[in-house]
Amino acid sequence: MPRLLKFNIFRYNPQDPGSKPHMDSFVLEETDSMTLFIALNRIREEQDPSLQFDFCCRAGICGSCGMVVNGRPGLACHTKTVDLPGDVTLLPLPVFRLVGDLSVDTGAWFREMYNKVESWIHTSKSFDQSAVEERMDNEVAEQIYELDRCVECGCCVAACGTARLRDDFLGAVALNRIARFAVDPRDERTDRDYYEIIGNDRGIFGCMGLLACEDVCPKNLPLQNQLGFLRRKMGITAIKTLFRR
Amino acid sequence: MPIDSTLIAGRPARWDGVLDWCQMLSGLGLILFMWAHMILVASVIIGPGVMNALARFFEHTGLAQVGGPVIFLVFLGHFLLAARKVPFRFEGQKMIWSHARMMRHTDTWLWLVQVVSAMVILLMGSIHMWVVLTDLPITAAKSAARIQGGFWLAFYLLLLPMVELHVGVGFYRIGVKWGFVKDRERKRFKKAENLLTAMFIAIGLITLIRFWFLSA
Ligand code: HEM
Ligand code: SF4
Ligand code: SF4
Ligand code: FES
Repeated sequence: MPRLLKFNIFRYNPQDPGSKPHMDSFVLEETDSMTLFIALNRIREEQDPSLQFDFCCRAGICGSCGMVVNGRPGLACHTKTVDLPGDVTLLPLPVFRLVGDLSVDTGAWFREMYNKVESWIHTSKSFDQSAVEERMDNEVAEQIYELDRCVECGCCVAACGTARLRDDFLGAVALNRIARFAVDPRDERTDRDYYEIIGNDRGIFGCMGLLACEDVCPKNLPLQNQLGFLRRKMGITAIKTLFRR
Repeated sequence: MPIDSTLIAGRPARWDGVLDWCQMLSGLGLILFMWAHMILVASVIIGPGVMNALARFFEHTGLAQVGGPVIFLVFLGHFLLAARKVPFRFEGQKMIWSHARMMRHTDTWLWLVQVVSAMVILLMGSIHMWVVLTDLPITAAKSAARIQGGFWLAFYLLLLPMVELHVGVGFYRIGVKWGFVKDRERKRFKKAENLLTAMFIAIGLITLIRFWFLSA
């Protein structure tokens, strides 16, 4: 006998003045290897075509299906229903602008964040397209790759108590971004340049070390280690800056 | 919703790093003090003579007269620094409570444990320090008399777990925040810290029981 799953889903359409935030319930029969991606699509197909949620790759790559599953932010396509109790409550990610129901706009937030941390290689070298690409140590390349695996789902930001308390907090994903450029030998920015961006309570010193980011990241990025690394690095820069002036 | 950080208003952001150092170091200093404090007070378990000798040593060297007020200042300083992170506005408090309830995430709850225990310590710790430091010298007999009065027993039964929880969580937090503890060691570190906290509470309770039955 397959289980009957009860989904309690947040409903609200900010575009519609008549819409009020409320929860709707849907019941589905569980099938083999069912994910929340499959469940939500079946609900939309069979029960309520107006249900809004985001999906694209359904393989944990695009990062568009982040939502709060029984209290924890996570990727819906990555979440198997066998791992969940019979009652499943789905909420949209907080912090981000609500598009409707479970769909939020992470894009605008990420674009602004990338502008703030200047998420690109800063180099004085001009690009020569005929030259052979410069070699990089394999170990460094792997380190960069490890931090580049972020799919920009926003789960770490939604899970962060600091981010929910202050809307100017950059969040673990932004700090991880800085850590990624800090290990990249092609980026010529110095510790003082990074300090200008994250050496304050909007950045690394605002983080209170609750480690929810580390615990929810669906791609298991080593956020705790990066945050510790940055706090020490920026802490030392803070002392140096103090004595220079 | 921006946090109300008016306690140290108008500071340029480049002080944030220095303030974070001060917060960590003042916390660490208070942890070390609490450990030393426990050695002094728990020595009564061995015998009131041992406690009296330790207390006499602290007074003769002036450590109690100077150290006491210095600790009090560090205590206040630490409060001001840590309070930068605490939501004092109602919306902020509502937000962080509902966030913790939604997440069911231990480390998020631990932060609330730290904030709540902090407020209790701020009030009760100040009273305790005032009472002890205005009534020097410290002797086992005087402490026993206070505790056997009943009121102070109840007072310490509340203050003790609050301080130990705050110290325990604070120690754990410093470890993970500054990267002294890596992700692989986090679970073990947390377990060890919980054990340590339980042990300290137990030692504190035994000390209180000892005082309760100590005949002057
Ligand atoms: C006046 C009473 C106190 C108040 C109001 C207070 C408040 C706080 C708060 C709110 C935090 C969390 C800050 C954050 O997460 O960023 C904190 C951290 C901490 N507290 Fe206290 N505290 C008090 C007394 C103490 C005492 C007596 C000790 C030690 C015996 C102590 C040790 C620590 C430590 C080690 C931390 C972690 C520091 C860090 O994360 O950088 N505190 N305190
Ligand atoms: S460790 Fe820092 S960034 Fe991560 S959830 Fe906690 S406060 Fe936010
Ligand atoms: S760090 Fe992890 S949780 Fe945060 S956006 Fe990237 S993949 Fe998502
Ligand atoms: S649909 Fe792409 S990550 Fe879930």
